[in-house]
Amino acid sequence: MLKRRLNDFRWGVLPVPGRLMAVIFFVFLFVFPLISDARYPLLIVTLACIYAIFAVSWDLLSGYTGQVNFGHALFFGVGAYGSALLYKYLGLPPWATIPLGALIAALAGVVTCLPALRLRGPYLSLLTLAFPLLLSQVARAFPEVTGGYIGIRGLPALAASPIGRYYVCLIVMIVSVLIMWKLTDAGSKNVRTGLIFHAIREDEITARATGINTIRYKILAFAIGGFFGGIAGGLFGHLLRTVGLGVFAISLSFQAIIWVVFGGIVSIYGPVIGVFVLYPLVELMQGTAIGEYRNLIMAVIVILILCFMPEGIAVRIRDKIERQCPRCKLSNAAWRRECRACSASLRHVADG
Amino acid sequence: MASFFEVENLTKRFGGLVAVDNVSFRIERDEIVGLIGPNGSGKTTLVRCIIGILSPTSGTVKFKGQDITRWRPWKVVQAGLAGTFQVVKPFRRLPVIANVMVGCLCPRVTRRGEWVKSTQIKARDALEFVGIMDRALEPASNLSHGDLKRLEVARAIATEPELLILDEPFGGLNPAETELVAKSMKRLHKGGRFGRLHSEGPAMLIIEHKLSELMKIVDKVIVLNYGKIIAYGTPEEIIRDPQVIEAYTGKEVPVA
Repeated sequence: MLKRRLNDFRWGVLPVPGRLMAVIFFVFLFVFPLISDARYPLLIVTLACIYAIFAVSWDLLSGYTGQVNFGHALFFGVGAYGSALLYKYLGLPPWATIPLGALIAALAGVVTCLPALRLRGPYLSLLTLAFPLLLSQVARAFPEVTGGYIGIRGLPALAASPIGRYYVCLIVMIVSVLIMWKLTDAGSKNVRTGLIFHAIREDEITARATGINTIRYKILAFAIGGFFGGIAGGLFGHLLRTVGLGVFAISLSFQAIIWVVFGGIVSIYGPVIGVFVLYPLVELMQGTAIGEYRNLIMAVIVILILCFMPEGIAVRIRDKIERQCPRCKLSNAAWRRECRACSASLRHVADG
Repeated sequence: MASFFEVENLTKRFGGLVAVDNVSFRIERDEIVGLIGPNGSGKTTLVRCIIGILSPTSGTVKFKGQDITRWRPWKVVQAGLAGTFQVVKPFRRLPVIANVMVGCLCPRVTRRGEWVKSTQIKARDALEFVGIMDRALEPASNLSHGDLKRLEVARAIATEPELLILDEPFGGLNPAETELVAKSMKRLHKGGRFGRLHSEGPAMLIIEHKLSELMKIVDKVIVLNYGKIIAYGTPEEIIRDPQVIEAYTGKEVPVA
């Protein structure tokens, strides 16, 4: 077993620069507390893990399935408020409230989806924009339940120490992203959702006429997106130990879109990279002289990315360092002349 | 006995325009039926009503004894009735083979334990059957119009239909390709296995403008004009029918 894994690593990971970088990235995340265990940097990376789940769940729903959601904060907020209320009224511990909160968020996804099934394109997006605003008003209207402007405070912490909290978030992030990656993998041998999500995005009518129950799979996409968005929200609430109206903010919805577009839409790994690059960058700027202009700088970066590499920065880099074998479709390092498995020539791929 | 496929008094109105006007016909299990008619005579609308993309104003569609009128498109496909589009609508950014694999995912054809693993092989066989296997890994947007037409056919037959409705399968093909496709239609109609691809030997309804090719492969022809059936019969009868000739070439005007 171990030997097989080792072989996988040697032949499947080492020769592919993208995978190698992913491994290095996760090893780096795992040893991060050794590099710096100061509270602030650790908190930033912990939050980055949470936002990574959030961004990837947006990518699954809007990137893969094509149901562009402008109100993804809805799921974040429902997850956060859901787990907070579960604690407040039932006194459940975080490991129970977060998944239950996420299930409520998944339910919210299904409910959003029902009117959204009739709409497409920009109209769907505008509709989804309204939902977090609506719930934010609802939360404001019942201060005795939701705490109104102040929110719900004094939630139990995820773990006693900052390092413990960091690892909880990191592991949840890795597991969530892996699940979403598998669910959206069109080449998967066991899961069919990936291919179907792609098909629905590309052409819904053709998908229908090919025997795909598009309504069921769109609801499924909303539920999965909502579930993981809710996980992110629940973690966020328990990490900061308070849930306020900010979790429904429009800026949070669009932040997710910015991260995904920056990293690379329809790629799963793109949003993770997007969050881990952009979020710490913004936070680093906060204390410095240019801190006041950080939103402006962010906007300029996003515009530049959209103009010059609309596929996203992570995807662009991967395209530069990897090349698919035209025959067996294995990924190869871009500087190889022959495919590492079938030794087909890779030269002409570079030209085309 | 109820027939295999039956359309009864189907009408589709778009506002004041009656695109399909009280159309009734039948297709038996072993037939290939051609549907012809001048441009704008309602052929495509009729098909779209049958496969559930449009909802007919009135009338019924029966398939294998079930009333499938106003069924959702995927339920129609899952019942065993697949159609292709006249205006090709592939999943453009997906590889050609993935386009066909989506068809293989239809619950009708994925048996337990088979799942996604075998769909790829089956999709290959479907592409082989229509003759575009060599382009399987390219994105569908790279294909020429003729190849996209064939991709449409591959996508439809991957769902293993019992009734296959083809909307201008020869459109955009040159004479040699047309003959090839016509031959493969015949082979498909006979049924059997083509590698992993199983053919139920589907009955067919073919809409086509290239009459000479169509007449060679069909058993019966339906002629539509202004949404109404003006003639029904064997190809030999149809080409002599004065009404059909009139619809296609116009009325003879006596020269003064």
